[in-house]
Amino acid sequence: MSALHTKPAIAAAVLASLLFSSSGAAQQVNAYAAKAKVEPPAEKAPRVQIARGPELESADENSATIRWTSNNPGGSDEHFGVVHYGTSPNELNQTAKSHIRLNQNHPDTTFRVSVERLAPRTTYYYTVDSMQASGASDKVKSAVGKFTTPGPGERVMNFPQPK
Amino acid sequence: MRTRVIITVSGTLAIVLGATILSHAVSAQTSSPAQTSSPDGVAKPPVYDPYPPGILPSDLNSELARVVREVDFIEGRALAQWKALTPPVLTGQPPTLQGTGTAAIEALGELMNYDRNISPFRDIACASCHMPYVAFSGPIPSVNLTMVAYPGTVHFRAGKRTAQRYPYAPFFPVLQYNQVQGAFFGGNFWDSRATGYLLRNPDGEQAQHPPVDTQEMGNPDTACIAFKLQKASYRSLIEEIWGRGTLDIDFPAVTEKICALPGGAFGTNNTPVPLGPEERTRANQVYDHWAQALDAYEQSVQVSAFSSKFDAFLEGAYTLTAQEKAGYDLFRGKANCNSCHLDGRSTAPTPPPPEGTAPNSQDTGAAAATEPLFTCFGSANLGVPLNPRDAFYYQNKPDFFGFTANPYGFGYRDLGLGTFLRSGFGAAPSPNATWTQFAPVSDGQMQTSSARNVAMAPKQCPTTEAPGPYFQKEFFHNGYIKSLKQLVHFYNTRDVYKFNVTSGHCPPGKTEKVDCWPMPEVENNLDKTVGNLQLTDQEEDQIVVFLQTLTDGFTRPYSNSDTFTGACMQGGSAKTQGNEFLIPTPPLPPCTSAVCGVPPLPTMPIP
Ligand code: HEC
Ligand code: HEC
Repeated sequence: MSALHTKPAIAAAVLASLLFSSSGAAQQVNAYAAKAKVEPPAEKAPRVQIARGPELESADENSATIRWTSNNPGGSDEHFGVVHYGTSPNELNQTAKSHIRLNQNHPDTTFRVSVERLAPRTTYYYTVDSMQASGASDKVKSAVGKFTTPGPGERVMNFPQPK
Repeated sequence: MRTRVIITVSGTLAIVLGATILSHAVSAQTSSPAQTSSPDGVAKPPVYDPYPPGILPSDLNSELARVVREVDFIEGRALAQWKALTPPVLTGQPPTLQGTGTAAIEALGELMNYDRNISPFRDIACASCHMPYVAFSGPIPSVNLTMVAYPGTVHFRAGKRTAQRYPYAPFFPVLQYNQVQGAFFGGNFWDSRATGYLLRNPDGEQAQHPPVDTQEMGNPDTACIAFKLQKASYRSLIEEIWGRGTLDIDFPAVTEKICALPGGAFGTNNTPVPLGPEERTRANQVYDHWAQALDAYEQSVQVSAFSSKFDAFLEGAYTLTAQEKAGYDLFRGKANCNSCHLDGRSTAPTPPPPEGTAPNSQDTGAAAATEPLFTCFGSANLGVPLNPRDAFYYQNKPDFFGFTANPYGFGYRDLGLGTFLRSGFGAAPSPNATWTQFAPVSDGQMQTSSARNVAMAPKQCPTTEAPGPYFQKEFFHNGYIKSLKQLVHFYNTRDVYKFNVTSGHCPPGKTEKVDCWPMPEVENNLDKTVGNLQLTDQEEDQIVVFLQTLTDGFTRPYSNSDTFTGACMQGGSAKTQGNEFLIPTPPLPPCTSAVCGVPPLPTMPIP
């Protein structure tokens, strides 16, 4: 019984597959076999150290960008640079943080943090750290740095576009 | 019971109203010059034109007509290809369409994609805003240069964002909140609102939005799609794939009239077609098939082709030129583009000091095991300035049907993913209330596009870059960027040439997009991976050259890429391309509470 049923089906399938393989590009299959997946986070670096900076990248009368480069901290790719700042070196009671994405392929990571709502012609003191998406600190140690915002309409640019 | 009766009555009222409106439209047709008729002479309502002069491009009507011709041409091709296909054989347990089953569903998706009969005025197909010669992005250079969003079936309602390129969109996973990464991944659309929560396929779910999007194909009810598919020339293909009875839905006679009217004509009633629960369920099933077929087409080699120079390079069948190689090294080295646009390589060169610690850049990367998609599936706020040309801002008056796309005018702000998580204005309802808490840390974020095919342009004008001959595209979610040179320059210098102005107001002596970047539309959650990459002018150019290696059609022709019949542009410089169309942003009213006042509130107030 079942043999009687399947025979014509096999014949049809053979025919179909013959036609199938002869009709070219339209029948090609995407080689992207792996199911789309989100990359797992990298391993955490045992120790995160700053290789350059932190320093002032740029400032205008009411904002500044602080910049530094450390070894790649690893952990979640979604990362935040953190700046603790204030107008006295003993009172860094304000915090700014900016999103960056780690590059798992890079041994180094450059962090850049926007510090907003500053007063013109004012000196600010700061230290930096970085953290994972969870808020867990990378435990970076930096000395207390300082910068001074310019007057209205002025601009400091320590990292202009290279020629 | 009682509620049911009430619903039916109000539904009928709306229908009567709708029908009256339509006959008005038809009778008024002869007298007013401001009316259009669709390609088949279908009666159309008076043109909705709330736009100040210069927002709509002057060649809009002729360009829309050109695209209709191109769409019809491809639909004809697709019909011929389907007719030539050997019918699959249903066999096995579970039954499978053996042999040409894959080809059949892909062919069906293609036929649907170029079918403009699905829209109420029979003038808009999916492809009207997504044509193959530009990798399924917006096909009208003048629209890309001016109004940003594409007109829908009601002329000239328009959406608010650029028509996204969609090759590789089918590879995005179902939208998920990843605990470890503390971020969202997957979904389709700039704001990820096609989550895939039900179909388990965001790209399929995406295809269920445009047919009933009031500013796009604009059907008033999802059941209209099943109704129109009953009459489609490829109906038998649908039945071949899903069975004879698939389209046997008993639609009441009034359906014809209802489905010839656009969304917005029935107030807030989203199901004006009066169907009993069983018929409604069957219509919903057909709508799921619509989604599956379109997804099959978009995932097929006709669309997601993996046939670029870069793919040939990965296979060892092409050697990158010195410029291409330099661009690639920058892309995954100094410029750090592959932190978000993942390139699937294991290790990339580290930049030398001062940027990094490697004494010399060297490639230690192993070849990718799979073909990289150049996206991480995540989202970021790049700080793109508000684009005052976006047609959405001007649609603050009701149209003929009493529909107003954007009552808030310039009070609207595009918070992207943040607004979707709040189920807010201009997005879609979120299916997951546990996500809402993450809205404030998602404000301003848009999905990281695949960088693949960003440079695809028609054969006649094979570049996006002036002096050309070039095809004018638009980039980023609001089309603010007009060339790839500008796109890379933006990543490189957003924070170097930052000015506290809106677009159109750069200080004297400064040139917008060259040495002046207006402030971001949304400052919240601004990404700082980019903004000052320390690339030279020449390095920017090399990255553009690399992006051009990601264009499909190198190892074999890209399907239907030969169908552009419009004009190319020529002259000028890629740096300032489109700058002659900049307009001053008007003084902005504060962000409307309908967007920025929805809890949980943004972390800092959005001006
Ligand atoms: C009127 C123009 C228009 C029409 C018609 C249209 N689209 Fe789109 N499409 C857009 C715009 C604009 C976006 C981005 C919208 C957003 O993110 O809010 C988009 C986004 C998409 C995306 C998402 C890509 C990604 O990477 O997430 C896909 C897929 C897509 N469209 C497919 C379709 C299909 C299929 C149809 C027909 C059912 C269609 N479009 C009809 C304008 C249009
Ligand atoms: C922090 C993550 C991130 C980094 C780093 C990044 N991008 Fe993107 N890219 C995005 C996002 C998000 C979008 C969509 C943004 C939008 O429309 O608002 C995008 C869009 C694009 C697009 C598509 C634009 C379009 O309209 O289709 C290209 C091309 C692109 N990026 C190239 C690059 C290049 C080149 C670099 C390096 C110089 C880079 N990206 C670095 C996140 C990133």
